[in-house]
Amino acid sequence: MKKAETMTVSTFAAAKGRHAPARGLVTFRSSALQVILLSVVLLAATFLGREHSYVMNIVAYTFLFAGLATAWNIIGGFGGQFSLMHAVFFAIGGYTAMNLFKLGVNPWIALVPAMALAAGFAVIVSWPLFRLRGKFFGIATLAVAEMMLVLANYFKGLTGGSQGMSVPLKPGLQNMIFLDRFHYALLMLGYATVVLLIAAYVYRSRLGYFLQAVRDEQDAARSVGISITKVKLTGMALSAALTAAGGVLFAMYLRFVDPPTLLSITDIGVRFLLIALIGGIGTLFGPLIGALLIVPLEFTLRAYLADVVPGSHLIVLGGSLILCALFLKRGVVGLALDLMNRRKEASHG
Amino acid sequence: MADMLLNVEGVTKRFGGLTAVNGVTLEMRKGDLVSLIGPNGAGKTTLFNLITGQLTVTQGRVRFKGQDVTARSPEERARLGFGRTFQIAKTLTSMTTLENALVGAYHRHHDTRKAAERAMNCLEQVGLGRRAGVRAGLLTLSERRRLEIARALALGPDILMLDEVMAGLNPTEVDDIIHLIRALHAGGLTLLVIEHNLKVVRALGHRVMVVDFGTRIAEGDPETVLSDPRVIEAYLGKKYA
Ligand SMILES: Nc1ncnc2c1ncn2[C@@H]1O[C@H](COP(=O)(O)OP(=O)(O)O)[C@@H](O)[C@H]1O
Ligand SMILES: [Mg+2]
Repeated sequence: MKKAETMTVSTFAAAKGRHAPARGLVTFRSSALQVILLSVVLLAATFLGREHSYVMNIVAYTFLFAGLATAWNIIGGFGGQFSLMHAVFFAIGGYTAMNLFKLGVNPWIALVPAMALAAGFAVIVSWPLFRLRGKFFGIATLAVAEMMLVLANYFKGLTGGSQGMSVPLKPGLQNMIFLDRFHYALLMLGYATVVLLIAAYVYRSRLGYFLQAVRDEQDAARSVGISITKVKLTGMALSAALTAAGGVLFAMYLRFVDPPTLLSITDIGVRFLLIALIGGIGTLFGPLIGALLIVPLEFTLRAYLADVVPGSHLIVLGGSLILCALFLKRGVVGLALDLMNRRKEASHG
Repeated sequence: MADMLLNVEGVTKRFGGLTAVNGVTLEMRKGDLVSLIGPNGAGKTTLFNLITGQLTVTQGRVRFKGQDVTARSPEERARLGFGRTFQIAKTLTSMTTLENALVGAYHRHHDTRKAAERAMNCLEQVGLGRRAGVRAGLLTLSERRRLEIARALALGPDILMLDEVMAGLNPTEVDDIIHLIRALHAGGLTLLVIEHNLKVVRALGHRVMVVDFGTRIAEGDPETVLSDPRVIEAYLGKKYA
């Protein structure tokens, strides 16, 4: 390694006319391949448990939240904008699906307006908020989420108010309604896979590198011609659209939504961030790993601890979050990457 | 006038009561190489920031390629052809060395593979080719300085502005950078270089501009300027003048 530090005239000469390979750059292809492989493994694992309805419920939630946290990570992780308003995009998806279902539009088609609405809303709301930096941005997004929770209760025509909305059990693929939870698990796995592929593409593209540059050093980003606001808005819109798609799926899984289910700060809004944080913010697979660890753990804790000491599962989760924030800044995946790098460095001498 | 690239017209910057840059004028033609010198705190970095748009002027104008860019943002100016480094390196620490140069190279190629090739060539130019895959946060100070140059070069700017890129480099590295600057200049690039080391200024030759207390106190070829009593006074104190 030391050798590389002293620059020689010969390196200048060598640079001329040589076809430089893209060392130090991970391609989308290799990331996409990893996503596909992981999905196949998860698919096989899902098949193994298909008989157990209780397990399939946990699996469906795990994959859904893997996709949602991965969507959050596009702006939250790559772009470093700690949004706490993603529950709003999620709710836009849920309510759009429910309302359109009543009008006879199936949820597959509802995905399109749901994603467009969420992206549009995200751009309009984020525009002024992006003037704020760091924790102030986070606090402002939290305020937006709180406000939307109040509004959702108020606008009964669109949301059913606190009574909520439900759709009848009309099973069928076109209705996205299944009797077997195994099918929902597959649907959610499909969602997580698509979101991961999109995130992988973004991560290894111009937008992804610009988002990371904006996160790392705004002045440096601007000095190479990057429009900070445009990049952040693009990342936010994409992230919001993918979150809304998850909201559509979630609504069709529950077939019932009310403001707390879709807009709860602790159960929804903070959860995306929490999963990404524990798995590894800003890494491609962090949110997936985080969901695989957290969601089943949470179900188990709730099942066993909630009867003994009510709310104790939240204490355990909160505790693990604090531990992660203190000791694993880049989450489980970040730790794994660091260990791998250290081994590589060691083997290179 | 056709080959006039940069006109800095009497720019002034005040920070509250402090006038950091005071009515400085500078003209650069395409292909010029100008060294900007002056004691610490003279206002060199501030002048850079006014030219590239990181700071807005209190008074005066900046024209580039015939356009008035005084009100333009730094990103707009970068797209127009300003490339710069920062005195305190602004490394994108969580990205690899190659990715740092890549964000500059995207200005030239939308396609990632092509942009990466360009970025790699720029890294090779500053001798960082072998560090391409390393996380930039792990680079040494001298490597970060050179990475600043590579990122700015990747933009393919019309003017490259270097803010004390040789500070903290060892003599071999300094020679290499001088070599690089000469090569870029020979290739037709316009350069504005802030430099503390007078030996480097002499080695670069060409035009020198001296600022002190925010004011331009001398401009001309290195021999004349560096023997000007006012310049010696600014650098060494009154008794030497
Ligand atoms: N953002 C700022 N706010 C207030 N004062 C500043 C700011 N930037 C620079 N200065 C002051 O302006 C003067 C010129 O600084 P600078 O341009 O960095 O000098 P140089 O680069 O020549 O060493 C110094 O007195 C410095 O303290
Ligand atoms: Mg300075």
